[in-house]
Amino acid sequence: MIEIKDFTFQYREGAAPVAREVNLSIPDGAFVGITGAAGSGKSTLTYAMNGIVPHCYPGDFYGSVTVDGMDTCETPLTDLSRVVGSVCQDVESQFVTTVVEDEMLFGLENFSVPRAQAEEHVAGALADMGITHLRGRAIASLSGGQKQKVAIASILAMRPRVLVLDEPTAELDPASSLGVFALLAAHARERGTTVVVVEQKIALLSQFADMLVVLEEGRVRFADAPAAVLAHADELQRIGVNCPRSTTLVNRLRAAGVYAGPSVRTVPEACEVLAGVVA
Amino acid sequence: MSAFLEYVAGESPLHRMNPVAKLGAAALFAVACFCTGNLAFLGVLLVAAFALSASCGMLRQTVGLAKAVFAFSLVLAVVQVLTTPSGAVLVQLPWGYIGTGSLLAALTTVVRLMAAAIPLFLVFYVTKMNDITNSVVKVLHVPYKYAFAFTSTIRFIPVFMNDMAGIMEAQTARGVEFDAGGIVKKVRLMVPLCVPLLVSSVRKTNSAAIAAEVRGFNLRTPASGYKEYPFAALDVTALAAGAALVAAAVALGLLG
Repeated sequence: MIEIKDFTFQYREGAAPVAREVNLSIPDGAFVGITGAAGSGKSTLTYAMNGIVPHCYPGDFYGSVTVDGMDTCETPLTDLSRVVGSVCQDVESQFVTTVVEDEMLFGLENFSVPRAQAEEHVAGALADMGITHLRGRAIASLSGGQKQKVAIASILAMRPRVLVLDEPTAELDPASSLGVFALLAAHARERGTTVVVVEQKIALLSQFADMLVVLEEGRVRFADAPAAVLAHADELQRIGVNCPRSTTLVNRLRAAGVYAGPSVRTVPEACEVLAGVVA
Repeated sequence: MSAFLEYVAGESPLHRMNPVAKLGAAALFAVACFCTGNLAFLGVLLVAAFALSASCGMLRQTVGLAKAVFAFSLVLAVVQVLTTPSGAVLVQLPWGYIGTGSLLAALTTVVRLMAAAIPLFLVFYVTKMNDITNSVVKVLHVPYKYAFAFTSTIRFIPVFMNDMAGIMEAQTARGVEFDAGGIVKKVRLMVPLCVPLLVSSVRKTNSAAIAAEVRGFNLRTPASGYKEYPFAALDVTALAAGAALVAAAVALGLLG
């Protein structure tokens, strides 16, 4: 469980806090999507969950962030890394080795996972991401999307109880992005992994997430089920978050008084609403 | 296509050798180059270095490297020619002269540097960085942090070279002409670009350090690596050959 209470943070060299009085409670096995305009504090919030803030990026830290009962401010990063697996925004600089297989094994070797078990984890993660064929390849020879998949797979192989991913599909095509989100949702559902994803692709987030958190200038503006959040399309637009077109369409039908049901997230749901309206 | 110092997969004997043996043999080869001034012997070592690179399919990379080392050693050679008068006088200078001995010494420097550098660089083309790190930890008992820092430094060289190329491309797209006006102008145009390169380098190394730490870097022990690095007959032979080269170089030095 991740418990964030009155979390406020200002980087040492920053002029103002980037996170302000954030309160969130994320149960085990939940899939949470965090979104917001650029500079709204999304990455900082994930840094607070994996301990990068304040251990690597010092600053003024107020409130508390606990993961699995560990206060991320007081617990050494090494101990947190046993529980939290992190995929950084810039995957290129996340790599610490030169070959895919070595990258996959890096964390497992550090945690002294028995070799047979590590092999099973690596093979499983590569297969899940659909990149088994890349196992022996030099990382430098991969495309941006392939690198992103390797970065995600290397964290999945460690099988952490909490996954924190900062824009994990930024360089992926739509089909691969969908595949990654479906996989993360399956991890949350089947293994009870808590998944926290920062993402701008709100259509994807709302399709898979149990909870959508929208940040505005470091504050939580919305934190609710995706359908409930997407009902505030105009407010989201003002904040700088674009709703999925299907949601916008149905919200407008509702505003025009021709539909009275809940907000929708996907194209098939919008089609259903339209069919009902036409009928 | 691999970049400078980036591992190239392969199945050659050099690829299969123990990383520590490769490093050791390459180091002995380099020591042998510096233990003798015999130009013929150094010529043989240079040919042997090229033969080694050909045996693992790295001839193209080696030729590129040799060109770079040649350019660097040429500077040293020119200084040597102008400042070390010896042998029969060829050109009289206000402060001395350029002699046949000067030219021979300069040529020896060029051949020596090229011969010494090739095997050392070749090690990185035929060995995974991770294997170098883990093998020096397991075989030589070097603390993991130091081994990791060393290989990370090597790993970042091509990354920073790519970054510099990217910055130069961006500048070229804005109208900066790096290729017009010779090497001095090019260097003058490149110097200001070192600032953004430095900023991006610091950021990248910092991010990599954080990425390693959040994956349990500090939990690493000497026994953590899965691979073992036993010495095979080829490894022992390579080290013995390296030692023999050093002995031969020293003997040639003493004799002549």
